[in-house]
Amino acid sequence: MKIWKKFAVGGVTLLAVSALAACSNGSSSSSSSSSSNDKDTKGNITLWVDTEQVTYYKSIAKDFQKKYPKIKVKVTQSPNGSANAKTDVGKDPSKAADVFEVPNDQLGQMAEAGYINPLSPAATKDIKSNYLNAAYKGVSWKGKVYAYPYAQQAQTLYYNKSKLSASDVKDWDTLTKKGVVATDFTNAYVMWPVMFSAGTYLYGKDGETLKGSTFNSENGVNALKWYAAQKNNKGVMQTSNALNQLKKGNAQAILDGPWNAANIKKILGKNFAVAKYPTITVGGKKAQMEAFLGIEGFAINSHTKYAKASTLLAAYITNKKSQLIAHEHAGQIPVLKAALKDSSVTSDPVAEAVAEMSKSGNSVLQPKLPQMATFWNNSAPLISGVYDGKIKSSQYKAQLAKLDKAISKK
Amino acid sequence: MKSYSNQRRLSLIFRYILLTLLAVLWILPIIWIVLASFSYNDTGFVSTFWPDKFTLQNYIGIFNNSQYPFGYWIRNTLVISILSMIISTFLTISVAYVLSRLRFAFRKPFLQIALVLGMFPGFMSMIALYYILKGLNMLNLGGLLLVYVGGAGLGFYVAKGFFDTIPRSIDEAAEIDGATKWQVFVHIGLPLSKPMIVYTALTSFIAPWTDFIFSGIILSTSGDAKTYTVAYGLYNMVHTTKGNATAYFAQFVAGCVIIAIPITILFVFMQKFYVNGITAGADKG
Amino acid sequence: MFKRKHNPPKATYREVFSKGSAATKLSFFLMGSNALENKQWVKGFCLMLSEIVFLIWFFLSGIPTLNSLATLGTVKHKRVVYDAAQGVYVTKQPSNSVLLLLFGVLALMIIAAIIGLYIVNLKSTRHNYVLKRDGEHIPSNGEELASLLDTRLHATLMAVPLVGILLFTVLPTVFMISMAFTNYDRQHPIAFSWTGFQAFGNVLSGDLAGTFFPVLGWTIIWAVAATATTFFFGVLLALLIESKGIKHKAFWRTIFVIIWAVPQFVSLLMMAQFLDYQGALNAILQNLHLISHPIHFIDNQASPWMARITVIIVNMWIGIPVSMLVSTAIIQNLPTDQIEAAKIDGANSFQIFKSITFPQILYVMAPSLIQQFIGNINNFNVIYLLTGGAPMNAKYNGAGSTDLLVTWLYNLTFGQEQRYNASAVLGILIFILSATFSLIAYRRTNAFKEG
Repeated sequence: MKIWKKFAVGGVTLLAVSALAACSNGSSSSSSSSSSNDKDTKGNITLWVDTEQVTYYKSIAKDFQKKYPKIKVKVTQSPNGSANAKTDVGKDPSKAADVFEVPNDQLGQMAEAGYINPLSPAATKDIKSNYLNAAYKGVSWKGKVYAYPYAQQAQTLYYNKSKLSASDVKDWDTLTKKGVVATDFTNAYVMWPVMFSAGTYLYGKDGETLKGSTFNSENGVNALKWYAAQKNNKGVMQTSNALNQLKKGNAQAILDGPWNAANIKKILGKNFAVAKYPTITVGGKKAQMEAFLGIEGFAINSHTKYAKASTLLAAYITNKKSQLIAHEHAGQIPVLKAALKDSSVTSDPVAEAVAEMSKSGNSVLQPKLPQMATFWNNSAPLISGVYDGKIKSSQYKAQLAKLDKAISKK
Repeated sequence: MKSYSNQRRLSLIFRYILLTLLAVLWILPIIWIVLASFSYNDTGFVSTFWPDKFTLQNYIGIFNNSQYPFGYWIRNTLVISILSMIISTFLTISVAYVLSRLRFAFRKPFLQIALVLGMFPGFMSMIALYYILKGLNMLNLGGLLLVYVGGAGLGFYVAKGFFDTIPRSIDEAAEIDGATKWQVFVHIGLPLSKPMIVYTALTSFIAPWTDFIFSGIILSTSGDAKTYTVAYGLYNMVHTTKGNATAYFAQFVAGCVIIAIPITILFVFMQKFYVNGITAGADKG
Repeated sequence: MFKRKHNPPKATYREVFSKGSAATKLSFFLMGSNALENKQWVKGFCLMLSEIVFLIWFFLSGIPTLNSLATLGTVKHKRVVYDAAQGVYVTKQPSNSVLLLLFGVLALMIIAAIIGLYIVNLKSTRHNYVLKRDGEHIPSNGEELASLLDTRLHATLMAVPLVGILLFTVLPTVFMISMAFTNYDRQHPIAFSWTGFQAFGNVLSGDLAGTFFPVLGWTIIWAVAATATTFFFGVLLALLIESKGIKHKAFWRTIFVIIWAVPQFVSLLMMAQFLDYQGALNAILQNLHLISHPIHFIDNQASPWMARITVIIVNMWIGIPVSMLVSTAIIQNLPTDQIEAAKIDGANSFQIFKSITFPQILYVMAPSLIQQFIGNINNFNVIYLLTGGAPMNAKYNGAGSTDLLVTWLYNLTFGQEQRYNASAVLGILIFILSATFSLIAYRRTNAFKEG
């Protein structure tokens, strides 16, 4: 009775497996074209960028192909945006693009996992000398450079200048007395840096020492006390939709990143103003409120068949001209020293504020350890719980110790 | 007698009021969504019920968005859902018919295995599905169709319950007259199962319009927005980059309203079949 | 209805082998030879071809595939080397354990299939042998094919769906189960190894245990509450619409069903905004002076139970129309004699509902309720889209207060931490949970039916 059914199953499965087997054998290996001349480099490569950047990177890629006529470049949008590069690439590295955009906090894990290739000594030298030091450090992992940096990101203070003056926003206490600042205590990216202002380190001074965190201390408790105190501060609004509160006039200032600058400009119109973070009083001392500094870069997929061509492309799309195009179209703030001096950048108030924030003392480079994944997952509930009082002050020490233990595990 | 009829009238009025109240409760959020799709929004958050400012711009925008080709998405989804509807319906109905009307050795084990398989959460299978489709070189709309159709054989419960209610004597009479089982299936089984076919077809037609997870896993690697389905495309629109969530929110809502319209119309027309379909299954489980 | 098939007298395989013809004997080694001898061309040819293809595959690729299934690849670490010729670094990749595991499982399935085919081949051989021995008619090639549309119709109709199930459900499920016994995680994303029950240890007593048990508890509460509320109020709504005097019943039903037409990723997203601390609902309630301060319904500042209750209520909005439709038709088909009798005895409508209508509906709907319950254990959309797990919970690891096992599983796989093995363990535990509950429930409903 069952012959036919079973036969059909077996047959089709056999067909399927032979198809699968045939495909699996195409293992990737580096091409061995050993031409010394860059111009003759061959390649057929893909570039992943964020959706809204596709248009201008297409035109940059066109120029690139004029210079290297034997390299074919396809520019497409990355599946879930560069912020999710780690998971998008991790899903299947061999199907991911040859060159893709990535924020620097994911570089450590991607390098450890073997998703990306380190850059050549020549490129390393170039980045070290011509780029901002923060950018160089941002893309370095264990002594090697893993991405061509092209933009820096740090949150700044955006405010309505018809309601608040430039001197009002210099200090958190006056800022929250004269107006309302909308922010999000459930977001560790926004709020954790208060810990830095309180004088603690995350993964050591260099941000790369697994056991180097010092927030499990009196200073750390001071920062937690600061979060808790903001709950009763009438000038601080906890919200998941800061832009909407800004628009409705319920808030006069928000903490946000350059990626939203265009949207905020639309909302505030001629009252748009931007400044570096104010000073805050934490642990009884005035300190600069700090932010995380992120470096956006282009990394090279270790599964690429065209390592050389990919390197050339990554270098090209992060050169001065390309960084300026990214600034012009998407408000990305350059990291190449020469590009930062360009008049289009110096005349941009957002770029000015971000550049100010990126200086040391105002911000801390996002660490790149693979354990950052655990850090993001566990720090947000802590800050949020302290802010809304779910975590009582008597538990502060124990909670900090727990977080410290969780994020410094191998 | 008079008081009795008064009481009845009162009860009817009370029931109408209750029903209207509930209906308003149910429909209000939908109306709110429709209103939001017509309102001007540049913050990605709707904080009022009645929009401050009406605009048609969201609808114009979604069809002219150069980065998010909504027209292609609708076309892709339409093709996928029609093909999936035809194939899945045939497969589901066949399996249900076989399991309900025919007897063979593998029947019981199959029913048990199907029950067990249904209890594993589907998410974990996504990694494997991805690699299977990659091996078949089908990380595209065709592969997505395979995934939708591939599970059809397990969705037989409702339809099987329906076939169980049809008296078996009909088949026997036909077979005594010399009809083969195939003829019985085609000339008696299928015509009788019309409400069931409509029910199955409708559910499999709707699935591609609302599934954003499987389509995301399978279609995202291509990076070509023109190959997305409408559900993944719209979801992707507001969930990738930080600034986008704000900029495209209103268009996203408008897009969702557009795809809800045809499904609503289908519902209205096919509601009767739907009720009959579900009931038949629920009767016998 | 069954044409009683001629039941051949038993013949042992020993007898078949010793007394059968040469081709019959050969059938024990080369499938299909007996069928070919009996001119069952299609069957014989297919059987023989599949054995040949299988043997070629097995020796060329099957054995190495099975070997790598045992090790999941021998190259466990990547190697970065400098390619001086090109002036770039290149990475020598480690073994891709995901693919090796997948192919290994597939190879096992193929071997199982060929064993199945072999048994089928033997049975068919014996059948033919017995027919021949007893001098009966042996089906010809044409008759064999024709039977596919008659006595073997089930095989014809099931073939395609079965392949779909094997390839797209069974294979991934087995793959998922095997993943739970490996160390496939953030630290071993490409090449991983078998580690036995280590991942189970992490979930049940290791760093995830403090999250697992509370989340499990909430998952059960949620599944019970969500199933019970939607069922109970669905029945009430159906009774209301079906009650005497209400006109345009179809119209009323349609109004409630419309929410299905709007994809959940927008209706629930908008619901989340509606319930936000600064959202429309709080604004409306404040304008009506029902509350003086906004309420935290589902945001991160909400109390866990407030958020959980809100989620259950929102789920009623989505779930009641479904059970309303299901119960409507049941109500239409309920026998009315009992109700009439009760009315004559002077029972009021509440009593009738409590002692007659409701038990009857419950009786008919019991199996579908169990399915709904399992569906709710795995209800991803409502939690993921409405709250995303919020409010956050500092006591949990990677989950929020409203996260169910299934959304937590999703976070572990696709979120920051990428703990694939742990999420596979969760998948297995969810299965055990569903299986236990439905087993108990089926037992109880059976007892209910008999009693």
